Amino acid sequence: MNKRVAVIGIGSSKFGRRNDVGIRELTWEAVREALIDAGLTQKDIQLNVIGSTAYRGTEIYPAPPASEYSGLVGKSPIRVEAACATGSAAAFTAINAVASGMADIVLAIGFDKMTEVDTSASLAIGGRGGNYLWEFHMYGTTFPTYYALYATRHMAVYGTTEEDMALASVKAHKYASLNEKAHLRNKVTVEEVLKSRPISWPIKLLDSSPISDGSSAAIFASEDAVRKLHAEPVWVKGIGYGSDTSSIASRGEWTGLKAAKDAAAMAYSSSHVSPTDVEYATVHDCFTIAEIMAYEDLGFAEKGKGAKLLRDGQTEKDGKVAVNLFGGLKAKGHPLGATGLAMIYEVVKQLREEAGPVQHSFKNYIGLTHNVGGTGHYAYVTVLGR
Amino acid sequence: MEGIPLFLKYDVSIQGYERFWEGLKAGEVWTTKCKKCGTIYYPPQRDCPNCLSSDMEWIKLKENGKIMTFSIVKQKPQGFDQEDYVVGIVRNEDNVDLMCWLKGIPKVGKDVKLTTDGKRVIGVVV
Ligand SMILES: [Zn+2]
Repeated sequence: MNKRVAVIGIGSSKFGRRNDVGIRELTWEAVREALIDAGLTQKDIQLNVIGSTAYRGTEIYPAPPASEYSGLVGKSPIRVEAACATGSAAAFTAINAVASGMADIVLAIGFDKMTEVDTSASLAIGGRGGNYLWEFHMYGTTFPTYYALYATRHMAVYGTTEEDMALASVKAHKYASLNEKAHLRNKVTVEEVLKSRPISWPIKLLDSSPISDGSSAAIFASEDAVRKLHAEPVWVKGIGYGSDTSSIASRGEWTGLKAAKDAAAMAYSSSHVSPTDVEYATVHDCFTIAEIMAYEDLGFAEKGKGAKLLRDGQTEKDGKVAVNLFGGLKAKGHPLGATGLAMIYEVVKQLREEAGPVQHSFKNYIGLTHNVGGTGHYAYVTVLGR
Repeated sequence: MEGIPLFLKYDVSIQGYERFWEGLKAGEVWTTKCKKCGTIYYPPQRDCPNCLSSDMEWIKLKENGKIMTFSIVKQKPQGFDQEDYVVGIVRNEDNVDLMCWLKGIPKVGKDVKLTTDGKRVIGVVV
């Protein structure tokens, strides 16, 4: 990056089935919190980047209404989309606008209202998250099916079990119970996960993130702006990105996500950080197998040993690398467009030591977000530090 | 309150891919190979991004393969309100990986014979 970029404000709505708000009010919850957090007003924002997948809501062009409601008219010329990594795509665009010197203070907002349609429509939309004609049209793949194909292969090659995957769900729910903004705040047991309804075997209901509504926002600033505002910055130390084939069959390997591995390699080299330096991470656990693969793709565990890291408790609070202490996508919720920015929100809260009951203890203050779009079609890894 | 439903009807172009869809009706799986650089595409492509040629030939894929992975779809999406089905990925003797529905008891590594049900590729567990 040409210029250093800092995060100086963050906000996030409560995630969940939010029948109490429309997309505009939902967005405002995150924008308001981010503006107050940064001590700024809309006048200070030079560019607003909006991320939303939008297909499951009535507002399929949601950026203008959300922007208008939040007092950002004139600042919002772009909406970006990268499926479940949409929030990171918005952050990526905003960070680059600052890094290039084009703007000094840029807001990124991510949101989705997914519960306006029913589950069968939602599955049919998610099932198109690949290649419509050559997958969904002929085979009725659902979004869980794609990740299930990875889970089955990981189980066959590395001996990962359904019990191992259940542990990721138990961990997520345990931490979400401490997060008042989380969608699912109930605790679950391994037995409950194993006995839950199969959705696309081996993925069961309690291996899956819920269908959620939510919004998140972050304000990015240049070093000059940080100095002028006397802000307490968290710095973007590096970003990596990756992408992969639309057809899942064409990837040749189904035990890890190449897009995520590529993104991680780029993020580590651009930030001069290695996997063992990372003390806190948010990983894209849309399904429990995804958390196990993320450990491996990010280099926290050797290939095939992701489940062991989980079993050994190394990704718990105060473990070797704490992961998803806000409850993860699995239990905090996964409103697609919001997720990437909710990850930045979480890591910044942790690095500032504002995470309350789930505050991790840091030595070097290095955190990372890992956000996957589609079934590994897109990936972004962002390294943050104080 | 209830929003206004949005009905989307699609007209999907399959021009240039007739051989594939005709093949399905005959129990065969066809795909394209670039005549210039030899790259095999599955799903088939009319154009070769590898060498920029559009001079492609249709080849019939071999019917023996192995299950690489699979999933049993229990909760179905709109358009597939029917019995459970098994989505699999099979690697055939041409070293092509294809999505299919598996019939029989699936297991990773098991051999399958590729055929079709007229609408899609089917892998029958041997
Ligand atoms: Zn060619």
